[in-house]
Amino acid sequence: MIDTAASLSRFKRKTPRRVIWKRQGLAFLFLAPGLILFLLMIWYPTVQTVLFSFQNVGLTGSKGWVGLNNFDRMFGDPQFIIAWRNSIVFVLLSLIMGLAVPIVLALMINEMRRFASVFQLIVYLPALIPSAVGLLIWRLIYQPEQTGILNSMLKLVGLPPQLWLSDPNLAKPLIIVIMTWLSAGGSTLIYLSALREIPVEFLEAAELDGFSPFQRVWYVVLPLISSRIQIMLVLQIIIVAQVFTEPFILTQGGPASATMTPVLEIYNAAFVNSDFGLASAWSVSMLVVLSIFSVIYVWLRREDTGMN
Amino acid sequence: MSSANRGIMSDIEWRSPTGRIIVGGCLLLLLLVSVIVFFPYFFSFTAGLKTSLEIVRPGLHLFPDKANWNNFIEAWNRFKMIRIFQNSVIAAGGGVIGQIIVSSMMAYSLSRLNPKGKKVIFASILVSMAVPGIAFLIPRYVFMTNVPILHISALNQWWGLWIPYAVSPFMILVLKNAFDNIPKDLFDAAQVDGASEARMFLTFALPLTSSLIIVLGMIAFVGLWGDFLWPYLILRNGDLQTVPVRLYTLTRSFGQNLFMASSFIAMIPPTIAAIFLSRRIRGGLTF
Repeated sequence: MIDTAASLSRFKRKTPRRVIWKRQGLAFLFLAPGLILFLLMIWYPTVQTVLFSFQNVGLTGSKGWVGLNNFDRMFGDPQFIIAWRNSIVFVLLSLIMGLAVPIVLALMINEMRRFASVFQLIVYLPALIPSAVGLLIWRLIYQPEQTGILNSMLKLVGLPPQLWLSDPNLAKPLIIVIMTWLSAGGSTLIYLSALREIPVEFLEAAELDGFSPFQRVWYVVLPLISSRIQIMLVLQIIIVAQVFTEPFILTQGGPASATMTPVLEIYNAAFVNSDFGLASAWSVSMLVVLSIFSVIYVWLRREDTGMN
Repeated sequence: MSSANRGIMSDIEWRSPTGRIIVGGCLLLLLLVSVIVFFPYFFSFTAGLKTSLEIVRPGLHLFPDKANWNNFIEAWNRFKMIRIFQNSVIAAGGGVIGQIIVSSMMAYSLSRLNPKGKKVIFASILVSMAVPGIAFLIPRYVFMTNVPILHISALNQWWGLWIPYAVSPFMILVLKNAFDNIPKDLFDAAQVDGASEARMFLTFALPLTSSLIIVLGMIAFVGLWGDFLWPYLILRNGDLQTVPVRLYTLTRSFGQNLFMASSFIAMIPPTIAAIFLSRRIRGGLTF
């Protein structure tokens, strides 16, 4: 009797501990593949970028610490200011030309009763095309010679031919036009689903109070989807500041560095000149600037992800 | 769907003269947008039908004099389209499978198994979603082309794409939310019947979220299908290159007409995917 009681109490004491550890082991077994990949592919390389920026790194790995040498060379390069200014102009242009397009498209599609799903599909089509393929086609459309289709159209209405992407003033806005063509569809679908979540009562009440349709958009609809607009805005800043594929395929940074961007500089430093240290210094400059927006992004999403 | 009966305008307004003007204006604008959307499709299709002389002839020729359907067959053969589609399917498919396995396991653990430091892990996943890709590109490339200890290189290897592709903070967060929403009673009942966690994961959690996983997998697949920079760096061998990389490297190898024909062919699979996905994208799917 005493024996059983003793073994029972031991059993009671031991079991919960063992079960918890077993469960913890299981929990981390499930987590392990993901944690290892995150560590190797994101967290460790991000830290290493900072370390690399203070080292001389070539194809064969690090050749020792060089202090601030990489940063001296980066700041001393006249391209530094040019590339960053271009990046800022790209972001501003994309906010002016790109941000409103999906919102307006979503508002218009939302009012189409019968054809809503057709237009929804049409605007979404380019969003799934590999951007490189879309860019290669646009490059031919923008051809500067007499054979270019846009120049032929201009000639038809009596306007002089343009150099398009070879014109330093036109190159940036034209790239933003393509970026909008490529990405507006995805954002439109997101705004459309936000519009469809707006309670009908709000719109009915505003209508009864005498708000015109446009006033309803301005005073009811836009404030209600403003949290989504904010998230898209920050996301757009982070993405456009890192613009690479578009200038890489369309202009290689030209004409006259008009479309040179920091990421293009990083690409050239690393994969043309094998100067990974300098490339890392550039990456650190991007990391510093963009982390501000990353923090804002995470903060804006804190409710969607249950992190309070 | 609340918009079934009204949008921003009510039904009565919609039929009023002002309403009709607004709707008509929207319709016109949307038709114009549709023209702009379709223009590159139209351009690459018609340019693909032209002869190599016709395509460089000055002046506006929207349509070819005579449709050379052979161009598409020639482009298909000379660009080895079967091979590059195959490569893209292997690259993106392997990435998606890895993403689903890794993300669902991680999401299940975070949702049901209460690992110690859950909050920290969750927060770091969220933060990595906002880390700009350029921040880790260089060391990742150095690491993958000369993996420490193992001394192997990912150049021209499928795993060189699959391993980074398997990391998806977005999919983890969406799946965690989905697992959180499965009624707890289901798991409790299964537990009483003596089912192990692995069993519950495979027979409850995954099947119950399978339709979401399919949509997530498709979004991921199309995204990886279009990835450019990483496969461009890793796949140096032309026989392994994916659709966007191969088309880029072959830009000047064949005539413009053949190039446009192959580009048009390359746009067909994503277009089919768009038809399937356009009605299934919801606000919650956009981290």
